[in-house]
Amino acid sequence: MHCSPYERRTRAQYASLVLPGMLIFTVGIIAPMILSLRYSFTAWNGFSRDIPWVGLDSYRRIFSDPYVGDAWWFTVRFAVWNTVIQNAFALLFAVALDGGLKGNRIYRTVLFAPCLISSIVVGFIWLRMYSNVLPAVAGYLGLAINPRLFGSPSTVLAGFLIANNWQWIGYWMLIYLAALQSVPTELYEAAKVDGASAVRRFFRITIPMLAPAFTICIVGISVGSLKVYDLLVSSTGGGPGRASTSIIYLIYNTAISGRQYGYGSALSMTLIAALLLLAMVQLAALRKREIQL
Amino acid sequence: MSRAARARGDVGPARRYSPGTFALQLVMTAVAAVFALPVLVVLNYSFKTKKELYLSSPFALPEAPSWDNYANAIQRLSMGTTFLNTVFYTVVSVAIIAVLSGAAAWAIARNKGKFFKFSYVYFIVGILIPYQALFLSIYIIGYSLRLTNTAYGVILMYIATGMSFGVFIMTSFMGTVPVELEEAARIDGCSVYRTFRSVVMPLLKPAFATLIIMQAFQVWNDYLMASLFVSSAKLKTLTVAMQALFSQQATDYSTAMGAIVMAVLPIAALFAALQKYFIKGMTVGAVKG
Repeated sequence: MHCSPYERRTRAQYASLVLPGMLIFTVGIIAPMILSLRYSFTAWNGFSRDIPWVGLDSYRRIFSDPYVGDAWWFTVRFAVWNTVIQNAFALLFAVALDGGLKGNRIYRTVLFAPCLISSIVVGFIWLRMYSNVLPAVAGYLGLAINPRLFGSPSTVLAGFLIANNWQWIGYWMLIYLAALQSVPTELYEAAKVDGASAVRRFFRITIPMLAPAFTICIVGISVGSLKVYDLLVSSTGGGPGRASTSIIYLIYNTAISGRQYGYGSALSMTLIAALLLLAMVQLAALRKREIQL
Repeated sequence: MSRAARARGDVGPARRYSPGTFALQLVMTAVAAVFALPVLVVLNYSFKTKKELYLSSPFALPEAPSWDNYANAIQRLSMGTTFLNTVFYTVVSVAIIAVLSGAAAWAIARNKGKFFKFSYVYFIVGILIPYQALFLSIYIIGYSLRLTNTAYGVILMYIATGMSFGVFIMTSFMGTVPVELEEAARIDGCSVYRTFRSVVMPLLKPAFATLIIMQAFQVWNDYLMASLFVSSAKLKTLTVAMQALFSQQATDYSTAMGAIVMAVLPIAALFAALQKYFIKGMTVGAVKG
């Protein structure tokens, strides 16, 4: 290398700006990941000095453990439905607010506001909505429906989908809205001159131009949904029974309450693998679409 | 039609106020009413007495609006402590995330060496891994470094969980810092550190505002990290205290409603002040140009 001492010193100074952040990030995120991998091969209970090595036993156990299957089934359904519903409504509302409505700013604020509330609070608010407020509404309207969605294993998922969509639709809507507003108007005008209908303009111009926003929203919603925990803690506590126990909830119960730290670490590793795999598949597919356009 | 005018929402593709637009206006008003309902119910309840909570309809206005629930919430949640703790953790961790990720992103953007390329990838991988997936080992590391049940421990972990996003956002803003200014400062004899502090940092103000609002809202609302790291009463956060109140056998709903309003207000005020930066931060990567 032909570096003067001055250049070398400059580069070292630049590197020293990266290092403090890198050190903290390593201690707080990277080291825990390596540690999780290591403990996943043990049957450690989380506090004793004795850490028995069990190799791949925990991973084998995952496949035959019905609790794990149930937790993944709940979490995956929650993530898939959220990704579909939240994207659809966020885009729909964004298109609606991109038109010439009066008082756009009010709609935007009202739809967006719930995402500023902590998920712990959102869970509690919807618990009260389902048990106190909505039964009163049903009573007024004379409807014979039971709005106590958190009370039954068959409706608890729907209850959380409503709560989570209420919380987040406005957030993703603002992303779609910003993307819609960055589409150059000339494109629409040129298509209009060429005689393209409004529907055709939407599918041939708007949707393709939104490709980067789709990428962000789809990855964001699915990754965000797979880590669901806070929302459940303050409302159902994973119940009724185990009907709303998400994968993180199960990890918590297994490792902290159940003293199976090694097994909990193996569960964490499967979640991390799933998150990375999902993000890579989605990014590869969606980015490819972006480039084609 | 200028892009700026459209971004302000002044004009849209459909400019005439047609019957269709009016129908859409009605639909969106109904949607907004449904979205606002839970918030309005909470606000309404927060001014009612305990008796009214059980006996009156959720939509009846309070007979004699009172601040009792707020006073009770301040006392029951020890808000003198928990509120200030939450403010302290949020302010300190977000300020440090801003400086550290700003410095790292700038160094990465201005150097082409292998170390800097590697650093970027190293930080960015973290965006895809939420800390919730790692909380067991984060706790073990914290415990073995004697960081649990300390204020600096929980702050350090908030910094760690915010670095990936911080570097991502700050890097996306580096194009707004003109290299010529930095070079001029360097020729005038400024060190790398001095250049960062006196030339780059002031130019990154919008980037810092973006990062601050986006991270503050994460830390303020966080539950899992605070509940893992902090167990002593004098270090508890507002969210942890609220969850404790919510989970009691006979939850005091009316007090809880007052607590919810007070917990949301500060972050709502910060959002109102920095709204335009928040939207900028959300849409990094989603909007071309």
